[in-house]
Amino acid sequence: MTVNNRFQLRLGRMPPEPRRRGLKPRLPMGSYSICVHPMLLICLVCGLCAGVAFAQGLAPPTNVTAKDTPNDDGKSITLTWDAAAEDSGITVYQILRGTTPETLAEIGALDSAEKPTYVDASVETGIDYVYVVRAVSKTEATEETADSEITEPVQATGQWFHTGKIPLFCAMLIFSAAIVGNIYYARSGKEIFVRRIPGLEAVDEALGRATEMGRSILYVLGLGGVSDPATIASMTILGQVARQTADYETPLRVPCNDPIVLNVVREMVKTAYLNEGRPDAYTEENIFFLTDSQFAYAAGVDGIMIREKPAAVFLQGTFYAESLILAETGNSIGAIQIAGTTSEHQLPFFIAACDYTLIGEELYAATAYLSKEPMFLGSLRGQDWGKVIIFGVLVLGLVLEPLGINWVTTFLQKVVN
Amino acid sequence: MKRQVPLVLCFLFGIVMILTEFSPHSDSQELYKEVGRWYLVITPFAYVIGVMTLVQVHGTRIRRRAEYWQYSYVVFAGMILMVVVGMPTFLNQTPFFQARGISFGLQSPVFEWLFEYVQVPMEATTFSLLAFFIASAAYRAFRARTFEATLLLISALIVMMGNVPIGDYIWNTVMGETPWTDGTSWARQWILDNPNLAARRGIILGVALGVISQSIRIILGIERSYLGGD
Repeated sequence: MTVNNRFQLRLGRMPPEPRRRGLKPRLPMGSYSICVHPMLLICLVCGLCAGVAFAQGLAPPTNVTAKDTPNDDGKSITLTWDAAAEDSGITVYQILRGTTPETLAEIGALDSAEKPTYVDASVETGIDYVYVVRAVSKTEATEETADSEITEPVQATGQWFHTGKIPLFCAMLIFSAAIVGNIYYARSGKEIFVRRIPGLEAVDEALGRATEMGRSILYVLGLGGVSDPATIASMTILGQVARQTADYETPLRVPCNDPIVLNVVREMVKTAYLNEGRPDAYTEENIFFLTDSQFAYAAGVDGIMIREKPAAVFLQGTFYAESLILAETGNSIGAIQIAGTTSEHQLPFFIAACDYTLIGEELYAATAYLSKEPMFLGSLRGQDWGKVIIFGVLVLGLVLEPLGINWVTTFLQKVVN
Repeated sequence: MKRQVPLVLCFLFGIVMILTEFSPHSDSQELYKEVGRWYLVITPFAYVIGVMTLVQVHGTRIRRRAEYWQYSYVVFAGMILMVVVGMPTFLNQTPFFQARGISFGLQSPVFEWLFEYVQVPMEATTFSLLAFFIASAAYRAFRARTFEATLLLISALIVMMGNVPIGDYIWNTVMGETPWTDGTSWARQWILDNPNLAARRGIILGVALGVISQSIRIILGIERSYLGGD
């Protein structure tokens, strides 16, 4: 007779009275001992199992390796070890570090559910360290640990070249070679065709209109600093505009958002006026610092537009949310507006509100287009070569990917990342 | 010599700064940070010149009684007030201000009050003008006079309707018998993910190549506009 059968047999002997009174049935005194038996058995089995586990001991982490982290600044060491089985009982790994086996001390911990990799980013370059990974099995009542073997001494060293950036480096070299090659091509005197850019063709028209109307020209460089490529491109266009305003004696007003840009622009416009033989026409106070606050700058430029009603407004450089505030105000005063920016989010606003807009790279092409310098034109041709290369690689990737060849897409992903 | 030294420095620093991008070594990264700090050192000096030009421009306006010259006094008043309140000067030690619990400096309640209740609302006001400017610019841009403007109008209508719940409500009411639901928001997402994203990526690629090209011109000394001349 099994324990369960005997248990039910005892239950069957229960007196019926309590049921009738709606009370819970009570077991007779003698039956308690039989009821506890299975519980005891379960406890016994569990205890035996636990005893066997404790007797075997917690398995220590295996294959623990400590290596200098690749492609870093020499401030970290990476530890790896084999993942333990799910039923190993390990709850957490403790990481111990020391310069000698005697000085080992805990520096961190890792949950056993995580990937068995630990990056120690608190090391000093050039010092030998040894590590131990300690497996910990922790319950409310007990705690058991098992240490791995001590690793070989390892030093953190910095790398001079990031091998993960080789694809990016290659891409940079290819594009640079294309641009430099075309600059040399242009220096040889060969003619280079540049497509018509309406926004730049309109510069003469805008300057002529301002001169005829006897009004000023307002040149806004945006919110970019002097290290912003779009601001540098804008300053170059300003130099070309300043040459013509010097010739026409048209007032040129440049409110600046950045004091360093202000100083560069002053020098640049002054040089342009000197080169045109009109230093007397240069007015330094027409190039001034307004504010470095975004919307205060927008309000200030709007005020200048409303008060002075310039005949032509140039909005060239880096713009953010103030772009439409400026462009719409310029539109409301009837000025001819030529905008140009590399901020793709602001381009729709300029296209909607301005007469001409230089879209993205056209801003960088402006120097070459306006000056017609062969070397600038060569660099422009190099840019186009770059586009052809990118297009070719994209098409190659599209063709090879369905065929299961994915080195092109892998290369492109590495360049982007 | 005045031109050669900056050009040589530009070439050297240009090459070195490019290489720091590819070198994770601590010396390389420290050099990168150090050069950034040099740039920060220059900024305060440039600000002095910036403030000087501001004073010069508005001083001239007041002197010449130019149009709306009175507002230049507001500029001076605002500038002086913020400088006085924002700098922890000897005024913090004067019994007059100490007795009244008034302090000066960037953390002082007066400065914070001026910033929170004067500067921020004024900037927010200017920013909110954008809503009206968007409406007026959209009205002009969306007039269906040409094929491109018509295309723009249709795309804009779909994107706008896809952004509000009533767009899908209209679609589901009209096209309720068909198996396609929420067609307006699907069309909006398709426009944003395909033609819009393709155009944006094209622009970004062109800009990136333009930046490379310009950087090479500057490093090689072909482009010299940043030197303050051509």
